[in-house]
Amino acid sequence: MRIFIAGFGTVGQGLAEVLDSREIFFKKRYGDNVKIVGVMDSKTYVTDPEGLAPMDLVSRKAETKRVGSRTYTDALEVLDSVDYDILVEVSPTNYETGGQGLKNIVHALECGKDVITTNKGPLAIKFGDLIALARRNRCKLKFEGSVGGAMPIINLCHDNLVGEKIQSIRGILNGTCNYILSKMDSGQPFEQALKEAQQLGYAEADPTGDVGGYDSACKVVILANSVFGRNVTFSDVSITGITGITEEAIALAKSRNMVVRLIGEVTDTKLEVAPRLVPRGHPLAVTGTLNAAQILSDLAGPITITGRGAGRLETASAILSDLISVLDDREE
Amino acid sequence: MIVNAELYVKDLPGQLVGSLEPISMVDGNIMGVVHDREQIVNHRISLNVTFEVEDATQLRRLEDIWKSRDIIISSIGSVYSTFSMEYLLIGRITASYIERLMEEASQAVTVDSVDIQYSSKNHDEKRTAMISVKVREENDLDTLDRFLRSACREGAITYIRGL
Repeated sequence: MRIFIAGFGTVGQGLAEVLDSREIFFKKRYGDNVKIVGVMDSKTYVTDPEGLAPMDLVSRKAETKRVGSRTYTDALEVLDSVDYDILVEVSPTNYETGGQGLKNIVHALECGKDVITTNKGPLAIKFGDLIALARRNRCKLKFEGSVGGAMPIINLCHDNLVGEKIQSIRGILNGTCNYILSKMDSGQPFEQALKEAQQLGYAEADPTGDVGGYDSACKVVILANSVFGRNVTFSDVSITGITGITEEAIALAKSRNMVVRLIGEVTDTKLEVAPRLVPRGHPLAVTGTLNAAQILSDLAGPITITGRGAGRLETASAILSDLISVLDDREE
Repeated sequence: MIVNAELYVKDLPGQLVGSLEPISMVDGNIMGVVHDREQIVNHRISLNVTFEVEDATQLRRLEDIWKSRDIIISSIGSVYSTFSMEYLLIGRITASYIERLMEEASQAVTVDSVDIQYSSKNHDEKRTAMISVKVREENDLDTLDRFLRSACREGAITYIRGL
């Protein structure tokens, strides 16, 4: 199986490392068939139909800041320059238009390729169209890593809870906000907690996507469409971020044994991202950069999962599970 | 849930305290007590008590404690559940504004009780009100949520509700 990786930042490099570390696993399960035949970052690309060594790609990126020696202006031309079976689309997210990621995914699906992505923008904006396109061309479109990083929420709902009526999902879907709110629990003001999150690399220089609730809203849209079968987009979500929360409010909540957490909630009728009061000891009162979600289904009742919501290897772990699922299907 | 119980206790010193103490033992809250010394049956005095407990499990625990203390439960009635929710409102708010807001809210839903706590003002004149509300109907929480959300949007107030 020939893999093309579009995007070679943190997640793309993490995937290369994981593919390298699981080489024996892949050989045992699928023979010598799994190989990376192409990779592109924002400016350069490298292809080899015989396969590229994953760790060489990581080393080259670390040394030169570029994954390849050839530059490009049209990403779709690069995709067309080599035969591949699965596109792993992990380029940066664009919440407004879907960006190049959306174009890459559409192009791959139109060409009959399976796609695995962690790119939230295209899914939040064009989910219905992408699913329809994948179905029309009998392709797989997998996106476990787009919500909750290593926390396996989508596949859990699709596979293990497939016979259940899922009534609601609510959870902490953004590790950056959870880190900031956890720091505020211990008395830090918002600005200071945000600065610390930026210094540690949890928050971007422009943190609006996280603290404004937009990143969580994208994930709410993905869950609503993929788990609840709804047809909604980003603009349908009621969004309140965490910028208005003061240390006095956190202290008042604490006096009642509660914490404030940014919660995304999806039901058949509700789509919301908002700060909520959570009792201490509740499964959603997690601290640090953790993500957590509570799925309420008619038979199983509440199921809570928690895990690291982002990170190099954590997100690569979600891609790995999607990749194995696609490869298994192709083997059958 | 709020419960009204008719008890019969022995006409001996300490029996009144002995019958009310178990309510605290199940983390209940006594709302009213009528100790009727005129109504004596089989050397026992009638005691009518209204209290609030968390749920039916706590109520059963309480009944067991009363029975173990030889307190006769004549009836348990007027039982109704309450649904509670907490809200944090952050902004340039005053106590009179919040009280007016809750008065308006109580016209839209049947509010059983309201408890409000305030923070002191911070450097930018913002303060926080923590409002704990109990209502009789679960649907009332949705109505209250819509009302408060809308009022907060109009007043540029950050609105946070419980789970």
